[in-house]
Amino acid sequence: MTPAGPVLSLRGVTKSFPLADGGALQVLDVEHLELPGAGCTVIKGRSGSGKTTLLNLIAGVSAPTGGTIVVHGTEITALPEARRDRFRAERIGYVFQTFNLLPAFSALENVVLAMMFARTVPRREQRPRARAILGRLGLGARLGHTPGQLSRGEQQRVAIARALANDPPLILADEPCASLDAATAREVLAVLLAVCREAAKTLLVVSHDEAVLGAGDRLLDMATINARAEAAG
Amino acid sequence: MTPVTVVWRYLQGRFVTSVLTVVSVALGVSLVIASVLLTRGIKEGFIAGATDYNLIVGAKGSPTQLVLNVVFRMDAPTPNIPLSAYEDLRADPRVEAAVPVAMGDAYQGFRYVATSAAYFAPFSWRRHVPALATGRLFRSEAPERPDYEAVLGADAARRTGLKPEDRFYEGEEMATYPLRVVGVLRPTGTADDRAIFISLASYWEMNEVSRKARVKPLTAVLVRPKRLSDLTALHRGWNVGPDLQAALPSAILLNIFNLLGLVEDVLAVVLAVVAVVVGLYLFVTMYNATLERRREIATMRALGARRATVLGIVLLESCAIAGLGGLAGILGGHGVAALGASLLAARGGPVTHALALSALQPVTFGAVVALGALAGLLPAVLAYRTEVAENLAPL
Repeated sequence: MTPAGPVLSLRGVTKSFPLADGGALQVLDVEHLELPGAGCTVIKGRSGSGKTTLLNLIAGVSAPTGGTIVVHGTEITALPEARRDRFRAERIGYVFQTFNLLPAFSALENVVLAMMFARTVPRREQRPRARAILGRLGLGARLGHTPGQLSRGEQQRVAIARALANDPPLILADEPCASLDAATAREVLAVLLAVCREAAKTLLVVSHDEAVLGAGDRLLDMATINARAEAAG
Repeated sequence: MTPVTVVWRYLQGRFVTSVLTVVSVALGVSLVIASVLLTRGIKEGFIAGATDYNLIVGAKGSPTQLVLNVVFRMDAPTPNIPLSAYEDLRADPRVEAAVPVAMGDAYQGFRYVATSAAYFAPFSWRRHVPALATGRLFRSEAPERPDYEAVLGADAARRTGLKPEDRFYEGEEMATYPLRVVGVLRPTGTADDRAIFISLASYWEMNEVSRKARVKPLTAVLVRPKRLSDLTALHRGWNVGPDLQAALPSAILLNIFNLLGLVEDVLAVVLAVVAVVVGLYLFVTMYNATLERRREIATMRALGARRATVLGIVLLESCAIAGLGGLAGILGGHGVAALGASLLAARGGPVTHALALSALQPVTFGAVVALGALAGLLPAVLAYRTEVAENLAPL
């Protein structure tokens, strides 16, 4: 059940990294950011503008220096780490720029791994479910192949399948097409958008790729979102 | 999919490294198992082969050599003693049983032991009475009319292939005195299994020196006093003269055990060093694997794996490598012990029960898995502390 209110809300979120001289480098200062509901939002920004840091904070893989992040009504910044890990496993799918598939595991196993960590899908249903998702993404004949045996486009589709494994309402994609050639990038982006729209997911994509910028329902600029840090930097 | 499956995939993914590490652990464990089994087997072999006689009278010299040669058929025979020593002991009212023994040459490595029928007598205090599996004992013939009959120990019969009514000799000079097999003994687990028993009369006639010099030498006399309280006096009395000595087999056995104890101490130090080396190798393997997998660990964490989960996976992998090595090592150690025991037995060494199951196997396996957990601890902590965002960054 999806609670009423925005899918994602950030208020006063800052992120600083300590410097060797004892000072701190502030890379992010988001006064307010909200994603109202299902659909695809694209955040554009140049390299080093804090896009990946923003996604990492939303995913809860790193903690903000200050501020609150609420995902589907849960303030993840207030959760202890173990519960934040569990929340991420169940409620957030993450697609990485460099796919980050585990090389020793087959395509099917890479998808099943996400279910193993979330523990929301019964074990006997995990493989059939992973097969179905990979089949939907056109990888039905590649289930037993390891990442090294797949093309880059296929690898990214496996990564998308993995992000969808636990049926999370929010999908984060960090430069999903940056490591692909133009034709493959278009194909992968189309697949990502199609499966997210079909399942009424909230998709947040960060990219500096022109091909991606026009694909979403909404386009935000990192320079605007992170204006205070950019001004200070 | 479970963490066990993940570990199995990781082991497959680094197949060569995993196999080499398992082999290293297995070699270390084999060494431990084989050393312990063989040392224990030798000790038990000495105990099983110990004589029921309390005193051995032989020529002056090393009492250890006397006991090792007469009881365990090891070491070189001591010089001869006169038959009169046996006759004096048999006439001694304090002596319940006196058995003459003369150690001769060997046939295909199995030593001739010349003795009297008393050697096979079923005294109530004997733990192992040599019993016949087939045939009969050699006759108690008159000294001047030897029958050249032989009774074979179980191993001697099996290894030489001799059976009752077969005739045999070793060396052309012995062709004049062929021995005839009249019986084969049941296995006793002692040095008797590897002996060929003949009568003293046959021995004296076969022995060139005694035949020509018309003397009747012995190697030793096994003595059992009627009362244990007489043992000290008998021991002291037979050690007074210049030519003869009396040795206490139990005291010699104790000396041998003390020597074995020293060997065990040295072995324990060597095995401890082996354990440290194996543990370090396992640690380095797991540490490198974890360093190489930091990105994968970060990915797992990003997918929702808890810190405890990745810690558990690394520990489980380390324990799995140690466990597989432990199992292979226990099996290999038994193989090495069996080979060592058979080689030792073939050379006449006392070794028994080298392959007996005991607490050794489960305790060793548990210790190896614990060593695996210890070696994997630091790499597991490294995995536990892996910073996700830092390690997810594009390469």
